[in-house]
Amino acid sequence: MKKDKKKVWLPYLFLLPTFAGIIIFGFYPFAKTIINSFSFTDQYGEWLKWSGTYFWKNLFTYESGLFWKMLGSTLLFSGMNFVFTFTAGMALALLCVRREKINRFYQTIYALPIAISSVAASVIWGFIFKGNGGLMNTWLGIQTDWLHDQSTAIVVLSIITSWCHVGTTFLLLLAGFRSVPMDIQEAAMLDGASGFKRSVKIMIPMASPQIFFVVFLNILTAIKTFTQIRLLTYGGPQNSTRTLMYEVYYKGIELGEYETACCLSIVLFLLIFLITRIQFILEKKLVHYQ
Amino acid sequence: MRKLFRKVPLNVIKLILALAFIIPLIVAIIVSLQSIDEVNKLPYELSVADPSLDNFNFAMSQINLLGYFKNTIIQILICVPCQIITALMAAYAFSHFNFPMKNLLFTIMIASLMIPMETVTVSLFKMMVGWDLINTYIALCITGLINVSAVFMFRQNMLSIPKSIWEAARIDGCGHIRYFVKILIPLCKPIIIAQTLLSVIWAYNDYFWPMLVTTSDSMRTIQTGVAYLKDVAHPGVMMSAVLLILVVPVILFVFGLDSITEGVTAGAVKN
Repeated sequence: MKKDKKKVWLPYLFLLPTFAGIIIFGFYPFAKTIINSFSFTDQYGEWLKWSGTYFWKNLFTYESGLFWKMLGSTLLFSGMNFVFTFTAGMALALLCVRREKINRFYQTIYALPIAISSVAASVIWGFIFKGNGGLMNTWLGIQTDWLHDQSTAIVVLSIITSWCHVGTTFLLLLAGFRSVPMDIQEAAMLDGASGFKRSVKIMIPMASPQIFFVVFLNILTAIKTFTQIRLLTYGGPQNSTRTLMYEVYYKGIELGEYETACCLSIVLFLLIFLITRIQFILEKKLVHYQ
Repeated sequence: MRKLFRKVPLNVIKLILALAFIIPLIVAIIVSLQSIDEVNKLPYELSVADPSLDNFNFAMSQINLLGYFKNTIIQILICVPCQIITALMAAYAFSHFNFPMKNLLFTIMIASLMIPMETVTVSLFKMMVGWDLINTYIALCITGLINVSAVFMFRQNMLSIPKSIWEAARIDGCGHIRYFVKILIPLCKPIIIAQTLLSVIWAYNDYFWPMLVTTSDSMRTIQTGVAYLKDVAHPGVMMSAVLLILVVPVILFVFGLDSITEGVTAGAVKN
């Protein structure tokens, strides 16, 4: 007991590196972002003087409502991403749910995009969807400039991003479905429930915590998508793929409008915060843990 | 026999889906083997008459892939061990000690997860500019030194280890640090390996932050270097470069699939 008393500082010492990191790379820049969205700053991002709500007003009025268009693109992009990723992940997980040797092989393939960087995926998919001499055009026998056409760019971008993210969804759902107790399934099988019926009536409700988690994970990952937009569309055409995340980078780094980027970062934060709150509230109402 | 027959359509579907899934990789391999004329042909055809490794040779000789690779490896060697060790220490403190302000500190840590990295990146970048750290390994590694979600994962794992082991060790005169290093860490090995694999793949594939803080060619990481060439280099060369940089994470992934699955699912759902 005496030995324990002597080492009361030990847990604090163990927590020190993590908390130093949280403060220096989390709370401090976050506070800086909030303060600087109401200030004028120099080129190093150092505070000069208060600007009041100057940049915030600017944000809502610049380029005739571009902000609202961006917010719309962000929501549309993450919505489509969620639909594609979730549907694909769900179908693949249900197909692979049996613990068979052959399914291990498929599991490796379906989850493989986890290992493939978004840069590599963008390069390859960019080639497939190229307007002039692209593979997709050859296959379909048409001439569409997929990534430079306002009506197709955001859809194609969502498909590409979904391909990148489906692996995680697939693995999470697979784990959820496989954790459904065998005896329940066997009982249903004895009662004559078909494979499809067992999926819909037993697997999906029983795995509701995982499904719920995956839904929100997909929405949040899509909101934070950057690489694919940066490498494939640069926010174009006609700003149709200019999401909040891309705009933070574009304003803050490319144009050097740091204060505006701070405002946008706060909006991005609030959006993510709102979604996590919704997740939290719905989780209490909808998800039943065993 | 009938059972096998009934299973066939499902397996056909799975096979078709699997092929559709790896189409990008097949495309990349074929394009990298094509000649310049074949890649430029209109309309483009996905066939290769005379496979050659010219594109790979060109990529290896003209693109500084090995230099980029070196930078990435340095980044991984600094970040990943640091992440794992700091996370293990914090997890140990939260799982095996009772101390004043424990709950408050734990809440602060959860709160930090509410601030996504993406929303502070611009400010972090400005901090790097202000501290004159652009194009240094410090800037490259600095954001990867800690990993809060790993703390949660390790803590969960440590809490599941029976308290009796710690009590037995203490009766035998084992101190906190010795218990941590000699007993607890070996017991957590599976989850540590899972997190290490994931951290390595993420660090290797990271693009946003390295792109911001590296502007000189000699400091680029493997992803930023290849991305930089995307609109400049010939598609055949790009595809060979992409395939070359894919090798490492894909091998890690295929051989560590079970571990990675565990890592992906461990932090996800409380049960």
